[in-house]
Amino acid sequence: MVFCMKPSLAIDFMGIKLKNPVLTASGTFGYGYELADLIPLNKLGAIVTKTITLEPKSGNLQPRIAEVSSGLLNTIGLQNIGAKAFIKEPLENLSKVGVPIIVSVAGSCVKEYVQTVEILSAQDTISAIELNLSCPNLKKKIVCHDLPLTQEVIKSVKKVSKVPVIAKLSPLVTDIAELALCAQNAGANGVTLANTYPAMAIDVKTFKYKLSTIKGGMSGACIKPMSVRCVYDAYQNIDIPIIGCGGIETGEDVLEFMLAGARVVSVGSASLVSPTRLIEIISEIEKVLKEKNIKDIKEVVGMLNTTKNAC
Amino acid sequence: MCELKRFDKTYKIVSNKEVCAGYFELKLKANDIKHCLPGQFFMIGIAGVFLRRPLSVYDLKTNVVSFLYKVVGKGTVILSRMRSGQLQILGPLGKGYALEICKDLNYVLVAGGTGIASLHFLATKLGKNKPYKKKGTLYYGARSKKDLLCLDKFKEIGWKVMVSTEDGSKGYKGYITDILEKKVKDSDVLFACGPMPMLKKVVQIAKEKKVKGFASLEEKMACGVGNCQGCAVNINGAIKMTCKDGPVFKIEEVNL
Repeated sequence: MVFCMKPSLAIDFMGIKLKNPVLTASGTFGYGYELADLIPLNKLGAIVTKTITLEPKSGNLQPRIAEVSSGLLNTIGLQNIGAKAFIKEPLENLSKVGVPIIVSVAGSCVKEYVQTVEILSAQDTISAIELNLSCPNLKKKIVCHDLPLTQEVIKSVKKVSKVPVIAKLSPLVTDIAELALCAQNAGANGVTLANTYPAMAIDVKTFKYKLSTIKGGMSGACIKPMSVRCVYDAYQNIDIPIIGCGGIETGEDVLEFMLAGARVVSVGSASLVSPTRLIEIISEIEKVLKEKNIKDIKEVVGMLNTTKNAC
Repeated sequence: MCELKRFDKTYKIVSNKEVCAGYFELKLKANDIKHCLPGQFFMIGIAGVFLRRPLSVYDLKTNVVSFLYKVVGKGTVILSRMRSGQLQILGPLGKGYALEICKDLNYVLVAGGTGIASLHFLATKLGKNKPYKKKGTLYYGARSKKDLLCLDKFKEIGWKVMVSTEDGSKGYKGYITDILEKKVKDSDVLFACGPMPMLKKVVQIAKEKKVKGFASLEEKMACGVGNCQGCAVNINGAIKMTCKDGPVFKIEEVNL
């Protein structure tokens, strides 16, 4: 049977209706509207903003970026204008795009997470909050390395949030499935797997570190197999939906994450390098689905990952 | 200043020739790109390295955009070996040199190394457009005689050229800023592009002598459009992005 029917890419994510499963990854797409002249933003599944904190942050010293084989290291240091400034002009501009808005949030303590989410989730135009619990750039221990703290942040935020809450987790933990379950039990409506990988690089020409903070987060094509593994393991342990993230460059990469269990994906480094990729990826997904004669993308989610552990 | 339309497109290589040892001029047939400002740049996609490379515009003529670059690392080595085919480029990006304040002042361009590229484009514009139509002086420093680029082009358009080399193989032996420091006057306006130590010195001289001008900065960039925030720089006490708010900044606002 040969059908030229367009496969359906629409997917429901935590009750939010998305045109397709392609999201931007936090920290790689600014406040979300800046590239409106370059790509049709309304074709995206959703836009995830850079991480917003309660107060403005000026970020880390130079150098903040280092290229590695098939990827990059960054240590931006959560530079942003703060929650109160964000909900004015940037959010107004972003709201005009017409796709669901997910705002990434970080804080230096539970109270800061809660206060930031209170401000943001009161905005009608924000569809969900993504908690950055894994930024590896903060000097102290990251939230994900402390399970009770991870749960406390999620629980406290859930109490005040008017919108679904996603926990973005660090891949650098002993048991990613356990961490994902811990997020689910604390009340998270979804998880993002995974953030960047702690990494470092040294310039042997100059005998200097390539990043001002020595260590930073690694992203790009080089991390994809590790993040697919995180999704695969977590999917077996949880019932809440997963945003797959890490090194996605093509529609095939998106499907790889989805076959392992991701419900939607976010694209970061690839779109930093080439903004048009974000849109090309969407048509590439369609092409693969046609070739496989799959009519609805929802069929693909977890298709190969059939073993579910009892929760 | 109105924003120029940006493109993220693939264009055909017209030529990619070595103009002198280790330096290449890349020309792309870019029909869409009708205008760009001196000091603006493009992010050049190179197969084999993850990030695109920022290169400032060297010239733009009849739908051909050219870049002048030095082979310094893996990316530029791969680029320099491309003789034909296509390249994906994003741009024009950033803020260029502002010409508004300059019409009553003498143009002084200060170039170090491949910093000559954006200043060459600027000089061709300054030569053409009223009310800025005027010739000026180029102060140009390089490592040695073989690193001096496009001097003939500046002479062709009638600019005065002062040259320095670190090894003394041509012109003054030492840094170009040594000459600039002695010659610069408050009726000059500076346009500087080059390596960080040179820019630091130019900024210091300009501030001391209260000379107006512009400096084009360089930082490691991932996206070129302000989204990754990798290329932060301190401008007048505020954090700005070299790619989006610059790369050209007013000299008096730069703290290097």
